[in-house]
Amino acid sequence: MDRAYSRTRIVIMLSIILALIMADHLRSPTFAFNSGQGNVETALSQRDETACAPCGAPCPSTRD
Amino acid sequence: MADTAVLQPGLQQPGWQVDRFIVSTALLGLVLLGGLIWLETAPFMVALFVIGTLLGMALYHGAFGFTAGWRNLVVKKRGAGMRAQLLLFGLTSLIMVPMLHSGQAGLVGAVAPVGTSLVVGSFLFGIGMQLGGGCGSGTLFTVGAGNIRMVVTLVFFIAGAVLGSIHLPWWLDQPGFDPVPLVNTFGVSGAILMQLVGLGLIAWWVNRIERKAHGNVERGELLWKSQSHGMLRTLLSGRWPFTWAILILAVGNALTLAIGGAPWSITFAFNVWGAKALEVVGVNMAQFEFWTWEYPAMALKDSVLTNIPSVMNFGLLLGAMLAAGLANRFNEASRNRPEGRQFLAAVVGGLLLGYGARLGFGCNIGALFSGIASASLHAWVWFASAFVGSLIGIRLRPWFRLPN
Repeated sequence: MDRAYSRTRIVIMLSIILALIMADHLRSPTFAFNSGQGNVETALSQRDETACAPCGAPCPSTRD
Repeated sequence: MADTAVLQPGLQQPGWQVDRFIVSTALLGLVLLGGLIWLETAPFMVALFVIGTLLGMALYHGAFGFTAGWRNLVVKKRGAGMRAQLLLFGLTSLIMVPMLHSGQAGLVGAVAPVGTSLVVGSFLFGIGMQLGGGCGSGTLFTVGAGNIRMVVTLVFFIAGAVLGSIHLPWWLDQPGFDPVPLVNTFGVSGAILMQLVGLGLIAWWVNRIERKAHGNVERGELLWKSQSHGMLRTLLSGRWPFTWAILILAVGNALTLAIGGAPWSITFAFNVWGAKALEVVGVNMAQFEFWTWEYPAMALKDSVLTNIPSVMNFGLLLGAMLAAGLANRFNEASRNRPEGRQFLAAVVGGLLLGYGARLGFGCNIGALFSGIASASLHAWVWFASAFVGSLIGIRLRPWFRLPN
């Protein structure tokens, strides 16, 4: 059976995704915190228990 | 020649081939990303990454597609896929509703407002499911398995989700009311019982349709043993009986709640990825109200590796890739190149999926599966509205040259 994909494309795609994740992480507060910078708020244990939906939306009753 | 290899002695069974390249690449990706999450975040995020991986394998090996299950009921009048979903909802409800109300601090259910936004969003999502070729989980696991058309769907899913996030505040101002947790009215046992009765009634309706059309009911959802292969081979290379996938998905969602503090969700990550991409090209997302709310603002500002839905989605993609490699079927669905209108369906479907998921407070996983597991009324409204949308999507499919 012939292969249905190109190995090179797979490697390039996954490398791009990994590079994007790294680029995003390197400029994040969590990376700054891990690098020893204090007074940085990270989202690691963030919970918004007052939100009305998993996406953080407020309740309709609280809107003007 | 085939890029496959017969398994090593010990795992070898006649005719079983794995795609070594895909399996090795997926495992390397899991180790690299898992290691990065371990180093940079916290052990519980690694656990959620592993759970995401197992869920991706279960979705792929179990061929657990919400979209196809609904379409099979409507078009072929076969209900095994739909009944498997109902069983999954019932089982998860039995596990997670008591968990959420056990008094343990820090656990938040998937509850959401009921109103115009929810009805319109889930309706659009239902149309998008049938045109895009999958729901939130379906899109992700098929992308992980190398399906090119679904990559197009995912890209426009993300675009639609960002557009939906910009419009959501306006939709929230339309008629609607605050979340309705069934437990508040009926208590834990009453809410579970009510939901089981509701699921039972739907199962009865599904059976009636199937029996009327075929004179019998196929009980594919109750199979627990593979018809063709041994246990080990089925576990690694699929296809799993529905019962295995149901168990893994139910336990996986419960563990996500126990470890992450909230049930499994998928599409919020798409919002974050899309908004981050727009910020890179200079768009200030803080000008939009959604991105000033506490949770989205924090998720946008910080690393995707600290965002639970993103981390679980990464695991799901790689888990599906691993499963497709073990089944020697990576990218099989793309062997026949999609034509113009099929790509158009992926674009339109993706946009509707993303926009609908944001307005509807999630997809089949975050709003429906996790919503019912949290005994929230919004999940039932989502179910009905998305199913109606799906009926329209099924009617539109032939124009897009998609088989029904």
